[in-house]
Amino acid sequence: MSLNYIIAMMLFTLGIYCLLFKRNLMKMVIGLQVMTNGLHLFLISLGYREGGIAPILAGEMLERGAAAELAAAAVDPVPQALVLTSIVINVCTMALALSLAVYTYRHYGTLNPFRIRRLKG
Amino acid sequence: MIPHAPILTIVLPIFAAFLTPVVGIVAKRFGVERARDWFVVGVAILMFIIVASMVPAVWGGEVLVYKLGGWSPPWGIVLAVDGLNLLVALIIAGVVSLVAIYSVVYMERDSGLEKYYTLLMLVTAGSMGVTLTGDIFNLYVFFEIMSISSYALVAFRRNWDSVEAGVKYLVIGSLGTSLLLLSIVFLYGLIGSLNIADLAWKLGEIKATQSLPMIVPLMLALLVTGFGIKIAMVPLHAWLPDAYQAAPSAVSALLSGATTTVGIYAMLRVSYLLFGALAIGMMFIVLGLITMVAGGLMALVQRDLKRLLAYSCISQMGYILLGVGFGSSASGSAQVMGIQGGLFHLLNNAIYKVLLFMCAGAIVYRVGTSNLDELGGLGKNMPITATLFVVGALAISGIPPLNGFASKWTIYVAGMEAGQPICTAIAVVMSALTLAYFLKAINLMFLGQRPEHLREVKEAPPLMLFPMLMLAAFCVVFGILPGLGIDLVRPAQSAVMNQLGYIGSVMGAG
Repeated sequence: MSLNYIIAMMLFTLGIYCLLFKRNLMKMVIGLQVMTNGLHLFLISLGYREGGIAPILAGEMLERGAAAELAAAAVDPVPQALVLTSIVINVCTMALALSLAVYTYRHYGTLNPFRIRRLKG
Repeated sequence: MIPHAPILTIVLPIFAAFLTPVVGIVAKRFGVERARDWFVVGVAILMFIIVASMVPAVWGGEVLVYKLGGWSPPWGIVLAVDGLNLLVALIIAGVVSLVAIYSVVYMERDSGLEKYYTLLMLVTAGSMGVTLTGDIFNLYVFFEIMSISSYALVAFRRNWDSVEAGVKYLVIGSLGTSLLLLSIVFLYGLIGSLNIADLAWKLGEIKATQSLPMIVPLMLALLVTGFGIKIAMVPLHAWLPDAYQAAPSAVSALLSGATTTVGIYAMLRVSYLLFGALAIGMMFIVLGLITMVAGGLMALVQRDLKRLLAYSCISQMGYILLGVGFGSSASGSAQVMGIQGGLFHLLNNAIYKVLLFMCAGAIVYRVGTSNLDELGGLGKNMPITATLFVVGALAISGIPPLNGFASKWTIYVAGMEAGQPICTAIAVVMSALTLAYFLKAINLMFLGQRPEHLREVKEAPPLMLFPMLMLAAFCVVFGILPGLGIDLVRPAQSAVMNQLGYIGSVMGAG
């Protein structure tokens, strides 16, 4: 279980490293994605439970009215909902970032963020 | 109050956002393409009316709790409106209405305007969502809606400068929102709840029984960094001058009036509710001082009007943080004065900053550049714009009898009462510096030699002058009658200081 957390942390750190030190806009966008995916892994691991069941009250359990039993055995559904939302948001950010990168390349002929700095003062 | 008012203020702009292209197509078919712009103006004004309809109940001391889908807190998402939210919601709705009116003329030369209005409404919906929600993950989602739409708005014209600014804003902004998400994940892991009031309650319980876990200051730092990027707190400000310079002036006005206000609100709400136990007063004072001084000094050397305004925007954020910091670090009357001063300055900043960006937009609209070196002697051509700019500039520099003086004075008094004479002195000096760089801008733009090619420049169109006139009128009214402004922010100030009331109302609604 702690392996999840270690990998999540590694992904997050790698993502930040990539975002801060890579000199290519595409790689920075990838870094951003890796970073948030690390976050998602962290979040989903928080709600995970060894041998847990899906948090759906249905079938035989529903007939018995075994809500307490379900609560004791099921994984936490909230992080899953949060991660789904966050993934959608991420797709938006990535789409916008990539389209802006395309425009940047058209105007500047480079994706190096150190050369995309005509605005100053 | 209009029934379902809290949710309507969020749903209305979202629906309007996606209806705008449809309205645009229909209007084009009937040959009245501008009907789309007026549709957006109408929606913005309607939103303002809905927000205003909540005023009597909230100022009567009530916390409006709206349960989405009938789920009680802490299980469902709630919208909770208290004095602080309502002030910010009023500012946003007002700014958006005026910016929408201003855009009708200002943006008329651009193509793809249905996208512009869609994004404008999405920024509004996101800001309103952040403001009214009582659920921290919901807050994050709306914050992302607001941020992503504002990245797109900054890059709207797709020139080299706006694309560059958009990319910078996007990279820095996304990093900030990821940090927010990380902090929310930590909060969920530690406490197992997402409702802000519930989180605050349970954090209070943890604190009562044991010493605070080490992770709590880290969460505060992550949240402050995330929101600090949105309000361009130094040293997280690098994106703001580029974005405000390259974006269309209407967008700069919207961002400076609405999204930074939302950033300050979120920062205050979260740090007060969740981390009231930590030394947030000192944190706000230090951050405010750095932001104020660095922003002011950078503004002094700018050669571009919009960039100068952007740096002064950073500097004013510093004042707000400083005022709130004075309030939080003290007790008694200094606390009241500090928080009142900070929030009053938040209101005033939204008024005159939007006014100044609109004036800059009027000049760009007529002359085509905002480079101060290429302007001059425009006072003869654009007398009304010049007058309005001078009103805004004097207000932001804190010259009596304009509104900036009233709020800055409140902050100074709070600073002296809180026992921080040195910080107060720095704030006074920075106020003089603000006057210096605005006088420089006025001198370069409206006075002096008029270049030959500017001889034919005309006054801005009346439809652009109308929102500017309204804002300037507010500047004067709040300056002459500061009691009126203080009365406006008093419910917000008592909401900031009465956190237990908020927690009780939200949790009691279950």
